[in-house]
Amino acid sequence: MTRDDPATAPTESSSPDEDELSRRVFVHRMAFVGGGVVLLGSACKDEKPKTPPAPPPPQALASSHKTFTNDEWATLSAAVDRVLPKDEDPGALEAGVPEYIDRMLQTPQMEQMRKNFVPGVAALERRAQKMFKTSFWKATAAQQDELLTIFKNSPENTGEARWYEMLVVLTLEGFLGDPSYGGNQGEVGWKLVGFTLVGRNVKGDPKAPYDGSKRLEELRCGGKRGC
Amino acid sequence: MVIIGSGAGGAPMALELGRAGFKVVLLEKGAWYKQEDFVHDEILNSRRNFFMPLPWDEPHLWRAGADKPYSRTNEAWTANCVGGGTVHMSGYFYRLKPVDFRLKSELGAVPGANLADWPITYAELAPYYDKAEEELGVSGNATPHPFLEPRTKNYPVPPLASHPVAEEIEKACKQLGWHAVRTARAILSTSYRGRSPCVYCTLCGSYGCEHGAKSSTAASLIPAALATGKVELRPRSMAKEIAVDAKGNAKSVVYVDQDGVEQEQPAKVVVVSATAVESARLLLNSKSSRFPNGLANDNALVGKNLVFSSFGQSKATFSVAKRGKELPWLTATAPFVDRGMQDFYLMPDDKFGFRKGGTLGFMWAHPNPIFAAVGIAKKGERGIFGKALKDKLREYRDSRILEFEIYGEFLSNPDTYVGVDPNVKDKYGLPVAAITIKRHPLDFKMTQFLVERGEEVLSLLKPDKVDRVGTAGETTILQGGTCRFGNDPATSVLDKDCRAHAVKNLYVVDGSFMPTSGGVPITLTIAANSFRVADRLVQRLKKGA
Repeated sequence: MTRDDPATAPTESSSPDEDELSRRVFVHRMAFVGGGVVLLGSACKDEKPKTPPAPPPPQALASSHKTFTNDEWATLSAAVDRVLPKDEDPGALEAGVPEYIDRMLQTPQMEQMRKNFVPGVAALERRAQKMFKTSFWKATAAQQDELLTIFKNSPENTGEARWYEMLVVLTLEGFLGDPSYGGNQGEVGWKLVGFTLVGRNVKGDPKAPYDGSKRLEELRCGGKRGC
Repeated sequence: MVIIGSGAGGAPMALELGRAGFKVVLLEKGAWYKQEDFVHDEILNSRRNFFMPLPWDEPHLWRAGADKPYSRTNEAWTANCVGGGTVHMSGYFYRLKPVDFRLKSELGAVPGANLADWPITYAELAPYYDKAEEELGVSGNATPHPFLEPRTKNYPVPPLASHPVAEEIEKACKQLGWHAVRTARAILSTSYRGRSPCVYCTLCGSYGCEHGAKSSTAASLIPAALATGKVELRPRSMAKEIAVDAKGNAKSVVYVDQDGVEQEQPAKVVVVSATAVESARLLLNSKSSRFPNGLANDNALVGKNLVFSSFGQSKATFSVAKRGKELPWLTATAPFVDRGMQDFYLMPDDKFGFRKGGTLGFMWAHPNPIFAAVGIAKKGERGIFGKALKDKLREYRDSRILEFEIYGEFLSNPDTYVGVDPNVKDKYGLPVAAITIKRHPLDFKMTQFLVERGEEVLSLLKPDKVDRVGTAGETTILQGGTCRFGNDPATSVLDKDCRAHAVKNLYVVDGSFMPTSGGVPITLTIAANSFRVADRLVQRLKKGA
């Protein structure tokens, strides 16, 4: 819809930084009411983000995820758990946010996002090893928060700041989106924010079996890939 | 006839040309969604490419000043689908006021701005406002107020039901010596021309209407156009270029069809209506030996004088638990407030540093939960996560948020324009639109003044708090100016009939024609003007000229 500060429109940073992720990732406002933020990706499709070597995967955390390695999955799960921890109300893990992110990043529209987001998970792990001499998922909650805060408060347009933003937006999408995408299980996210406008048995409700990603692909492209 | 774009500008032309018996091909780059395709799924509608293209497929370039680097964005796109932006609009259907047609005469020279009077008056457009309101289906009730534009009849559909807070806003405005007036909406309150009325589902703006109650062109004008039997709609057809003959007249439109195959559609007349940004891009990308700098661009004005709508906003938060008993209207669920204030549309003098203002529209905050939560979580130093974020989300759950937004004059200036960047191409291989924006300082002064007045109104409702969202924004879905109409070919691209001075069979009928932005959302004006242009074109064609 709008931008309230055009002077801070995101630009592409030019300063090299060892720990920078994909520097062209940024988050931008959607251009109409209720749209909020859409996550944007790299300027050039062929860009190959540097993927650091993955540390050995923790054994107990295997899952059916497709986007992430076991190690990345553990890191991601720990990170989203800090964004929306369980307290008197369910948090990101109860809602299935990691599953949402894993599935969403498999969709053709989000291919660019996947290339930008996944290396950041490894970068978070790398930074945890450097700072705490242990994996991010094994670090204490206070340590995890400390590291996420460093990412959050990094200067705008750095890879860290952008990755934090992607993490939060994807977490909130998974927490508050339609349950058919894999998150918001039991509608725990909608309950937390008091959203009651879907599931009233009105005409606009998504009707089971519903799969938003598939539907988007069908509607936009008539089933054609890459349109 | 070939029309490019099926939104507020293209659809009236298709309908009127079809009714007059001319064969029309209507090219639309987006998909043709049906009512049953509109579901209440925020991710589908608002966060992926259901309506707007993704920036890695079809970016716009954006920079805040020519000295800044461009960044890629999906800003300044409007919905890519049959019906265009009218499908997901909120449908606040205000008319312009007579002053908007003669702003330069009214204000005189404003340093740094490039004002121009329109070559038509409000009186010339007024009958077509009536027509657009009837053909689309607009609900409202025109009651006299000091700022009401002249009109001869009431709205064709009775007003929608309002939330009881509307009365509180009316009282507050009255107390301040101002006027809260009912906002007309392009949403049906009753059955109309075979279409169903609104069911007040609350998920409205940013969604397509599954009942067809929103008066998008896809629900109103397009079916009527197709019913003439003269109009062929070709969705998922992306116009690449308008080709010209040896004399420099438009002869065909080259486009990529839904199977990805390039086609060339011959045309006697070409009508462009792809939004002010995209229409300028199409003309600039249509190069020929006659027009080496882009079609109809002899005077290098295509893409110049780009205007959006000045935006400002504040939000009032009311805790339901704490205030519910004291404020009985707080728990009412009716979605629409539908009150606007135009007391500062035109200031009588310079006392506050500006003369031309705009409109304040009051509304409940959009109910999309991801949209709300991302706004609450913020980013950078102000960003919150963890327990702090969950506490804020619970506070949001237990509150209601009443807000206003500004639709203010956006002064055109030499530093705000759209061009094309030959080095950045979209998925069709076409150079993309590159937008440079530099705001006139008066816009900010004006918006801040309007925001402060809106906050005075909100404060009288005794909210727990009022938060200012901003006073220096622009609403980029409302766009115009890039092919100004005017009587002088040296200073305008189009003549008063929205026909290109330099290409006698080329018309542009989206917001591009508007030399000034106006102080209201311009969708109704685009539709009304397109009906006006269609009238002139049909007359011309029937005379065989």
